[in-house]
Amino acid sequence: MLFICTLLLLSAMYVSQATAEKQPHKEYAELKLSECNDCHKGEGIALNHDSDWVRSHRSIAGKAGSNCSQCHTQSFCLDCHQGGGINADLSTANFGRDFVPKSHRSDFVQLHPIKALDNPQSCYHCHDQKFCTACHDRFPRGSFRIKSHLTNGTSQTFTWTSEHSSEARRNLQSCQTCHPDGEVCLRCHSSKAGARINPHPRNFQGGNISSRTNKTCRLCH
Amino acid sequence: MGIKGVSLSLLCMSLLTATSGWAAEIHGRSSTQFESFINDMTGGQRQSELNEYLRFSITDIDKAGKFSLYGYGRAGQDFSNGEGLNGRLYYLYGDYRDLYNKVDFKIGRQFVNLAAGSAIIDGIQVDLKNVGPVAFSILGGRDVLFGLNGEIGPAGNTAMGAAAYLTGFKKTDAEVSWFRKYDRTDVSRDILGGSFKQQLLNCLNVYANGRYDLVSETFQEFQAGMKYFPTSGLIFTGEFFQSYPQFDTTSIYSVFAVDRYQEGVLRVDYNYNDKISFNAGLSHENFGEGANAFVWRVGTGLRIIEPLKFNFEFDDRNGYYGKTNGILADLTFDIDKKSQVSAGLDYDVYQRDAMTGDEIARRYWVAGKYKLAKNMAVSGRLEDDVNVTYTKNISGRFVFDYDF
Repeated sequence: MLFICTLLLLSAMYVSQATAEKQPHKEYAELKLSECNDCHKGEGIALNHDSDWVRSHRSIAGKAGSNCSQCHTQSFCLDCHQGGGINADLSTANFGRDFVPKSHRSDFVQLHPIKALDNPQSCYHCHDQKFCTACHDRFPRGSFRIKSHLTNGTSQTFTWTSEHSSEARRNLQSCQTCHPDGEVCLRCHSSKAGARINPHPRNFQGGNISSRTNKTCRLCH
Repeated sequence: MGIKGVSLSLLCMSLLTATSGWAAEIHGRSSTQFESFINDMTGGQRQSELNEYLRFSITDIDKAGKFSLYGYGRAGQDFSNGEGLNGRLYYLYGDYRDLYNKVDFKIGRQFVNLAAGSAIIDGIQVDLKNVGPVAFSILGGRDVLFGLNGEIGPAGNTAMGAAAYLTGFKKTDAEVSWFRKYDRTDVSRDILGGSFKQQLLNCLNVYANGRYDLVSETFQEFQAGMKYFPTSGLIFTGEFFQSYPQFDTTSIYSVFAVDRYQEGVLRVDYNYNDKISFNAGLSHENFGEGANAFVWRVGTGLRIIEPLKFNFEFDDRNGYYGKTNGILADLTFDIDKKSQVSAGLDYDVYQRDAMTGDEIARRYWVAGKYKLAKNMAVSGRLEDDVNVTYTKNISGRFVFDYDF
């Protein structure tokens, strides 16, 4: 009896919701945002395109079936995500020939190691890892201020042993920018040679990798 | 690919001359940009470039108005630094809608977006709709990646995906999707994604989205949050986010142990009509093994005197790996309906570690725009970067836009 009532209730809810479809937005593309938000509030729909929109638009835009294309062409997204500049306003800066979002401010070449740690995955919404390596490959390896890469006082030894493991676990993607093939890691973390230190996490599912590629495991095993 | 992209763009431009024989509508923008900047990638030499952007849409190509063509690309020539010709084709695709009122096709280079992943692909996306409360998408093609000077990555890399999502529900969104990337014949990424949003009580929005990595069997990214909007101008946001770094299966880094990143965000955003806006936020970041950071932000936008608009943001970060604080400020003045001037300042103080001390980076810029006609405008921007590398680094651009 409970099951039948639940089924009937869900069907009734579906019918009432289905008849209240989402409003097409194309004709409202030129409206002021305050007018959009007045309508949204009246309908009980969350406000958006606010001052937090650059950070939060992903939860609405990053899915199939989003209605962004009713007002925006793909160039609107790609100008920000891929450095285009056909719609750039006066406040948008360049990095060479590419246009950059506001987050890439002042001396971002120097700032980005710190800024990139504010949500480390945010860089990868626009840049492939090869983009990082293409730039880092051009600079001398010893010029970066990474704690584990600094000499120990006046000696020739590095503060490597005590620091690199936690630094690497917290930000392994930054290691990859200078060491894209990980050859330096394999000196110690291979089962074939060196210190043979196990790099795998607990519950490591090696079979998931070997079923998809036969290249990676063979580097060490 | 840079040259191919240029050729394709020119081919598309040639279509413009055929407009008089068609019922099709052609619209778009041509933006010609002259840029001058110091190129750190070529040893700090000054580089002068002319870049041509073209974006177009050709609609109502067929009688029923179901077929359209869209394109956007850039071609440029360096005059001073030996980098020569370069280009990017961002997208060029044909869009056929409402086949039997149920199927939409997009064929060509396009930007695709699922909860499980997004990419630019040279391929196809098919959407099945109007078959009930759930719609479906399937897509696949060559994975296109842009680097500093052109396309990068092997030509054989591909991406594919599929999604099912709710449709016809006014206050509920839900999507589940799968996204896979191939590095030639090896599966490099294999991700399940989901997205959910529910509007409640006319003032509450709860949402969550995540990406589950099928290789490491962990949530690569997970976000959950709530927005409370008691009025049409006020939003309170509380959000939680966590992620693990993800690597291609073909990379040795995919086998390494990594720490989880977690972030909590609290924000308030307030708009009072169109003249005053204010926002403030606090983020706590956890990098694992006791490493933490706090970031707080405030910002405002003021348009109290109508032709004058002032924007200001300040943020401060303290904690693991270094501290920074800085401001972004800009002032825009609409002289009249045709002309606008603007100026701004970025000012950042940062410290990588206790040994480096504070460094200061500044960017000063001025810009202006003038509408020559309803469909033509010129604009220019000049900036000076002063930082640890340069005591003076002037760069600028001059732009001519033509809408058709």
